[in-house]
Amino acid sequence: MSPALQVNAISKRYGATTALQDVSFELKRGQVCGLLGENGAGKSTLVKSISGVVWPDTGEILLNGESYRPRSIVEGNRRGVSTAFQELSLVPTLSVAVNLFLPHPERNGLGLVLTRKLEQRAAEILEEHGVRDIKPSVLVGDLPLGMRQRIEIVRALQRKPSVLLLDEPTAALSDREWLFGLIDKAVAEETSILYISHKLDEIRRLCSRCVILRNGRKVMDSDVESMSNDEIFTNMAGRSVVETFVSRTPAIRVGLAPRLEVRNLKGPGVEDVSFKLAPGECLGVAGLEGHGQSSLFKALVGLSPVTGGTIAVDGIHVAIRSPREALKHGVALVPEERKSEGIFSDLTTMANISMPVIDGVTRFGLVNRAAERRAVGAVTPSVNLSERFLGYGIGALSGGNQQKAILARALISGAKCLLLFDPTRGVDVGAKQNIYAMMAAFVRDGGSLLFCSTELDELVHLCDRCLVMYRNAIAGDLPREELSQDRLLSIASGFRPQPDVGLAAASQKGA
Amino acid sequence: MAKASPWYRRLGGGATPAMLLLILMLGIYAVYEPSALTSFGISNLLNNAIVLALAATGLTIVVLTGEFDLSGAGVVAICNVMAATLSMGAPGSMGTLGLVLLVGLLVGAINAYLIAILGLQSLAVTIGSLIVCQGIALVLLPAPGGEVAEAIISGVTGDLFGIPIAGIMFVALALAWTFLKNTRWGIAVYAVGADPVASRLSGLNVPTTKFIAFVLAGLCYGAAGFVYSAEIGSGDPRISDSFLLYMFAAVAIGGTSLMGGRGGVRGSLVGVGILTVMQKMLFAIGVAEFYTNIFNGLIMIAAIFFGQLSPLVARIARRRPA
Repeated sequence: MSPALQVNAISKRYGATTALQDVSFELKRGQVCGLLGENGAGKSTLVKSISGVVWPDTGEILLNGESYRPRSIVEGNRRGVSTAFQELSLVPTLSVAVNLFLPHPERNGLGLVLTRKLEQRAAEILEEHGVRDIKPSVLVGDLPLGMRQRIEIVRALQRKPSVLLLDEPTAALSDREWLFGLIDKAVAEETSILYISHKLDEIRRLCSRCVILRNGRKVMDSDVESMSNDEIFTNMAGRSVVETFVSRTPAIRVGLAPRLEVRNLKGPGVEDVSFKLAPGECLGVAGLEGHGQSSLFKALVGLSPVTGGTIAVDGIHVAIRSPREALKHGVALVPEERKSEGIFSDLTTMANISMPVIDGVTRFGLVNRAAERRAVGAVTPSVNLSERFLGYGIGALSGGNQQKAILARALISGAKCLLLFDPTRGVDVGAKQNIYAMMAAFVRDGGSLLFCSTELDELVHLCDRCLVMYRNAIAGDLPREELSQDRLLSIASGFRPQPDVGLAAASQKGA
Repeated sequence: MAKASPWYRRLGGGATPAMLLLILMLGIYAVYEPSALTSFGISNLLNNAIVLALAATGLTIVVLTGEFDLSGAGVVAICNVMAATLSMGAPGSMGTLGLVLLVGLLVGAINAYLIAILGLQSLAVTIGSLIVCQGIALVLLPAPGGEVAEAIISGVTGDLFGIPIAGIMFVALALAWTFLKNTRWGIAVYAVGADPVASRLSGLNVPTTKFIAFVLAGLCYGAAGFVYSAEIGSGDPRISDSFLLYMFAAVAIGGTSLMGGRGGVRGSLVGVGILTVMQKMLFAIGVAEFYTNIFNGLIMIAAIFFGQLSPLVARIARRRPA
């Protein structure tokens, strides 16, 4: 029997850069194949070539043994190839129901699309896929990122594809077991899945085989079981980078006024939150998606209104009504959605980084390029951002390098307190290590970090202390010694703080 | 989580503040001008508004897809001089209507090809086609003159079973859009305007969606030029020049986002109503005519302000119980 998908020596160039070079692989029926690689390795281009978004320059793709050259996504869908994109392909101003049935929602004899009927169908489909907390009539733009990701996945699955492409499906997902359940079910129905992820534990949990890309070439294609983590990382990075957490000694400065002290803070999505953040401390914020972490961060820098409570910086009460004011008090936010909230994609990397200090490097109102370069050059080493990227438009950089640039921007502002919201999401292994190193150096020098992450192991290994949010309030405050993924997850799922609550039970409740 | 919008928000098609303003201004107008609400007054008002209504409808469709179209005023100019030079001759009334619509369609299709298929910037392309159209109008009729056939004038400005034709056209526009926006194409228009990348990844055909929008807009401009000719009875290659800003004003006042993806034709029709009634109201109150522009502009800014305000209020109200 011919394989479900066979990719033969496809190449794709964008101008001067080669995104894919002679990549071949096979996907057997009912198989889950992992696709690994650092950002910029060509994974997304491969996914887009198979789904019909871009057309490879050379090479051929066979689907069930037949030639397959999709000229559009719709054609791909028709042939049974369906994709959940990393950048989420949902239209924010349309309802969940309409989005689920794009591009061809059902219509009646007059050509009208009947919303109510769609919503009924959508409710059934969501229910079938175990999504019970999303109303089909809600606009996608009103939903948090994690819920949108679930809809993206359900949309790809409900087309009953024979080949399913999942591009970083867990990047914003807090309940991975939900997805794993769906994948197991799809595989049982003979669906073949190409699973792109940075997370090795997911690859090991789901995939029998994995393909590794580096710089647009396939460097490895083998059984997952026969490979050690180290081997996989070495192949991805082309060097030996193991995702380990270097333990560091706590750098908390005692006896000083807290860098950030929040008392009974209330606002939209924030209910009575109090905590202290000392100089030199890395304070984690854990929680399942949509439990107020994002609202808290926004309230702290004045992006959403504060209706009660106080914020004090270095012992002095302050009123923060905008990120600009926050910055004046030394508090900088590194936001959640890199693409839409973090970067100015049309500007150079240099301009993106120097933004906060641009007033300081001007002469007679004109930017002094040499001074700008010096100022930027002073911070890029701390995030290990290569100088050669500075002149490029930041949009051309990989996700990891963009994130480094954003962190460099936070550093250049001279802020003493950084609020990091999931800084390692969708970032490759190498860049992650750079970010961890930057965080460690920052607290060692007396800076303070409020660090929210969807990856519990990061919180466990990097934080001096960790807050757990549940239903917009703080449900737990764990010191370093008590930090474990199980504890965090059980509190985040609404269990009273008590030890020995099993992971499985907690995740069931979380679903 | 998010509830269905209450009835009073749906009334204005997302342009509730504009709708309220229109009602208020109609009230003031009626107080100062007792004949305002007679059948003659209303018919007069509708006839004054219908040309802008047709043109603004076309523009709204394009703006919803996230593009601009400045060619409308140019198409109106060409169609006006065509009606003034052709309708008394061989083509006759219906022939003229056909030709005029054909010209609108053609200009729309050229715009559409350059923008949707070749990917050129709509603002630049349609500035070009605006100037070309105005130039052609001047070639066809270098100075004001010509005559529009009586059949066209009476056909467009007259009544049908006692209802002014202009009123029927107004309702037809609103109904046609209500229908169109619920078709697959209509849904695609909003999607493409809101997020072209996501739309493409969702499998929507972005170029085709925009193409149809520009062509429909061209047709609307052609119809506007035809009706306009009937209103003034002669041809004037330059008289439509001031039209362009009013078209955009009507769209903006009606709550359609100039960035695309939000708004609709019903809002624009309300916007047209506001612009028309305001001139009459100010005249009835006795404000000198040269002040009207100042008010027009201020009202537009105020309408946009209130348009921004109502979603804000809704968002805050929604968050409170959460």
